[in-house]
Amino acid sequence: MKPVKTKDKTVLRSLGLGGYFGGGAEGMVDVKNGKIVRVRPMRYGWKYKKEEVRQWKMERNGKILEPTWKSLPGPFSLGYKKRVYSPNRVPFPMKRVDWDPNGERNTQNRGKSKFERISWDEASAIIAGEIRRVHEKYGYNAILMQGDGHGECKTINTPHGHPGVLLEYLGGFTLQVRNPDSWEGWYWGAKHVWGQGAQGIMYPAANIVKDTVEHAEMVLFWGCDPETTPWGFVGQFASRLCYYLTEVGIQQVYICPDCNYGAAIHADKWIPVLPNTDAALQLAIIYMWLTEGTYDKEYVATHTVGMDKVADYVLGKEDSIPKTPEWASAKCGVPVWTIKALAREFGAKTTSIAHYFGGGFIRGPFSHEPARLECILLGMQGLGGPGVHQHQWTYFGLPRAEGLGGTFFWNPEIEERLALPVYSSVAAWQEQVIPKTLIQNAILSDEPIKFRGTGAQNALTADQFSEYTFPIAPEKKGSPIHMIWTDSPCRITCWNFGHETELALRSSKIECIVAQHPWFENDCLYADIVLPANTHMEVDDIVTNIRQGTMQPNIMLTEKAIEPIGESKSDAQCVLEVAKQFPGMEEQMTEGKTTADLQKAIWGYMGGEKLVSWEQLKEKQYWIYSTAEDWENDPPGFRQFYLDPEKHKLNTPSGKLEFYSEALAKAYPDDKERGPIPKWVEKSHNHDERLSSPRARIYPLLIMSNHGRWRVHAQCDDITWTRETPTMKVTGPDGYKYEPCWLHPFEAEKRGIKSGDIVKVFNERGIVLAGAYITERLRPGVAYVDHGARHDPIKTGEIERGGAINTITPGAITSENCVGQIAGGYLVEVQRVSGEEMDTWRRENPEAFARKYDAAAGLRVDAWIVDGGDK
Amino acid sequence: MKVFIVDLSVCNGCYCCQIACKDEHVGNDWSPYAKPQPDTGQFWIGLTEKVHGHVPHVKVSYVPQMCHHCDDAPCIADCKAEAIYKRADGLVVIDPEKCTGCKLCFDTCPHNAIFLNEQLNIAQKCTGCSHLLDGDPEEWTVPRCVDNCPTEALRFGEEADFADFIAEAEPFNSEIGTKSRIFYKGLPKKFVAGTVYEPTQKDVIIGATCTLKDTESGETFSVKTNNFGDFWLKGLQDNRTYTLTIEKDGSSKVIPGITTDIDRGLGDIPMAMAR
Repeated sequence: MKPVKTKDKTVLRSLGLGGYFGGGAEGMVDVKNGKIVRVRPMRYGWKYKKEEVRQWKMERNGKILEPTWKSLPGPFSLGYKKRVYSPNRVPFPMKRVDWDPNGERNTQNRGKSKFERISWDEASAIIAGEIRRVHEKYGYNAILMQGDGHGECKTINTPHGHPGVLLEYLGGFTLQVRNPDSWEGWYWGAKHVWGQGAQGIMYPAANIVKDTVEHAEMVLFWGCDPETTPWGFVGQFASRLCYYLTEVGIQQVYICPDCNYGAAIHADKWIPVLPNTDAALQLAIIYMWLTEGTYDKEYVATHTVGMDKVADYVLGKEDSIPKTPEWASAKCGVPVWTIKALAREFGAKTTSIAHYFGGGFIRGPFSHEPARLECILLGMQGLGGPGVHQHQWTYFGLPRAEGLGGTFFWNPEIEERLALPVYSSVAAWQEQVIPKTLIQNAILSDEPIKFRGTGAQNALTADQFSEYTFPIAPEKKGSPIHMIWTDSPCRITCWNFGHETELALRSSKIECIVAQHPWFENDCLYADIVLPANTHMEVDDIVTNIRQGTMQPNIMLTEKAIEPIGESKSDAQCVLEVAKQFPGMEEQMTEGKTTADLQKAIWGYMGGEKLVSWEQLKEKQYWIYSTAEDWENDPPGFRQFYLDPEKHKLNTPSGKLEFYSEALAKAYPDDKERGPIPKWVEKSHNHDERLSSPRARIYPLLIMSNHGRWRVHAQCDDITWTRETPTMKVTGPDGYKYEPCWLHPFEAEKRGIKSGDIVKVFNERGIVLAGAYITERLRPGVAYVDHGARHDPIKTGEIERGGAINTITPGAITSENCVGQIAGGYLVEVQRVSGEEMDTWRRENPEAFARKYDAAAGLRVDAWIVDGGDK
Repeated sequence: MKVFIVDLSVCNGCYCCQIACKDEHVGNDWSPYAKPQPDTGQFWIGLTEKVHGHVPHVKVSYVPQMCHHCDDAPCIADCKAEAIYKRADGLVVIDPEKCTGCKLCFDTCPHNAIFLNEQLNIAQKCTGCSHLLDGDPEEWTVPRCVDNCPTEALRFGEEADFADFIAEAEPFNSEIGTKSRIFYKGLPKKFVAGTVYEPTQKDVIIGATCTLKDTESGETFSVKTNNFGDFWLKGLQDNRTYTLTIEKDGSSKVIPGITTDIDRGLGDIPMAMAR
């Protein structure tokens, strides 16, 4: 048989979807006849010999752990071809048919009326015209730029944020500040206990993987799924690490409402806790340790402040309620005996706690409380000592590479064209800013909005004590919002109270919405102009796979795999097309530099000349870092503080672990949600989301929600091959693929719900349809729906068919002085959708059901294009 | 001669094998080795996912299933068009040019590994990515599914190199006698698990001996409860009936009639301790 030609060429990609100048989950992309034929793991040995690279090794009980000589991308990364060729790709610039910049704008029809094709010239002229008009009428701060969050790993063409470069050069703009959406509690809570950290997460965190591997006897995966979220950033090394723990006999305990994907295969013990009740469980553990004397009293005396106040509260001296296991059991649903057993095991064994963002622990109402209590638990067991750390499992703490330079988020050397887009994701750098959690309030409210702390990721702890107002004073050119330019948006499906977002986007105050995105998803439905951006497969770029826990750091040139799909242009070029409408602006933005110039410049910022010659990088397309020769000498985590707290102070006012925060006590003396010591908060004026609430009589289930296993937040909901797995979608009797809603058989039976039924998950904030997935993988009392499914409105602001569960999350922020979001641990009810009810919706919203739909891939753009989408 | 081996003790259920197969074969025409696979609905390698037990004693198993590339392949014997052949390396391939779409192989394959492509009117299945092994042997020594596997649960290679694994492999449809070239270890077996606690003190009972006795054969399985009061009696056969006896310091509890038609998570089991 004559051999077939399997490819024309191979190019490299970072298949991670974290973005931000970095990546991992590297891949090789084979191209034939101008089409992607395959996407596969990267073989690090493609053009280097293993002997040329110094790799790290760890050892326990004679068993070795080391990085693999091949990358380990997750399923959506390896199925990314379907994302590139998705039927949901925006094919050309589009304008909403009944939005006329010179006449009626019909903002009430956003999310309802369809789009028509326009040319790039028309689109850029309209957008430039709107910018000029808005600047003249309201001032430059009347334009909101939403350009933040995760996305494909690109550096020159990073998704999100390029519009901010142009708008900055035209005078400025209002910046949407991305809150720490996946780790709220540590940002708003833990910072006050152990200092700044890495945006609140324990830091320094060098070598904690090695130290835990060598010394820990137990790891608590607390609200953590190592088999889900890591995939989106760097692939599946976290999975191998868990198998290694099993191999060497380190006990793995999972504390989460769901038997999550990690628990399902790695757990020695699963403790199903009710969503967002971890604080009760933690307090009972402290109670056990205090009453049984099983904590490190010497460490507490020398390394912490405020144990006495915490003890008074826990033992009931403050409020007459001892936080006993019996007290906690009633709140968190864990049996008394299991709480005691956990407390004793934790007290007796060298224990680390592992997270990987998201999960049921850190994103509920008052999430700063479990976060701070966790710091206290670790502090009471000698945080920083051998095997006692807080992990974002593999994200931090892998061995240090040699010669690691940086394309940091803000490096004055880097040209603004590269830096500002990413900077807009992490810093509140404009004069007028709005936290992303408050966008709809900013649009809908006529009153000024005040908030404490911007929530910006690079903001210091001190920022949480500053008050901000939106809009800023008119003499400082403050203005309400009248135009939005949104880049790769997913606020509706990934942030708080998406239904309210939808209604805000229909406000007549917002005269123009421009969206740019490769796919017609989520907030794009509410735009007036849509620009087709392209994917990383369609552009030349350079990627530094060095951040977010890559097991084998490297730099790669990512040569264009295929020509742009349709009329799409790169994220940067979409903005440059508009810049051309302003004299001199294109030159100012590009400084005349080509992609090749920028690739070489980025290599330079990485300290490239010391690592690998530009010629070699170009020839081989990539370069692999060696592990630093002296990596084992890096002190693990808080080790130096552990050894000498006076010499190596923490970045808190006292330099110690502040179980009690004098700073919070002084700044916010009346704050009952986040007081100076962490507490159990039953309810507040912001949140009434406990099973004890009268609301629970109508909405008796607590929502568990994580980052999806088959998506990265909102990314990759359209990959036909992952949509075939039993936990990605549930096919309803009507053929629509619904987002799964997990229910325990006990809860399902009570409600007459069977597997595969269409159900509605609802509360006062609206209705989300889902497909019932009845399973023993979830405890009773809970409904589980992951966030990030694509928004498909039956009725905007009220009824959601696509399964975007965040459309009904609480609108209120984490607590009064914390502009975080709530993504789980709130009350809902679940009911089977009757045929009658569905028929009523069908009758009242015929256009929602008439839209063209593709069960394999889901939503498709032609459903929203005039003459292109009718059945 | 090549074999596939599957070590389920490290399968994390990522489905990357299933996706690899689709990535390689959907939309790509590798004639004369294979014509394109339909976008959805066919699983030349497909995971079977199953949830076992009851809250809070729950596990999930994933078992990849595919063509067994049998040495005594009924599909080869039955094909009237002589479209199915065995290669020198052991892989069994359907020639898409010769296949008439008669469906005979689809009906006779004891492993349910053959699919019908109604649009092309041919039978299709795993080719072991032989187009890659032949077409670019320097790059490809394993099929795509194996290359995608992040944990080396799925491997492919010379039979002799895996002799130890094969010697310990567990039967999987082997009673059919078609001389399969795929070997499994760690196939899901039934378990009985629970948490034992003392109801007055509300403490777990650590170190209690938990013994299952097969009511028919008298065979016993025993394990002690751990620091969480948990016992996991694993590796049990299907469809047996057991009596569970829990004993500690003179106290005991007997639970008869535990059947392993399904895995049993018995939840929290109270056992009063003698004072």
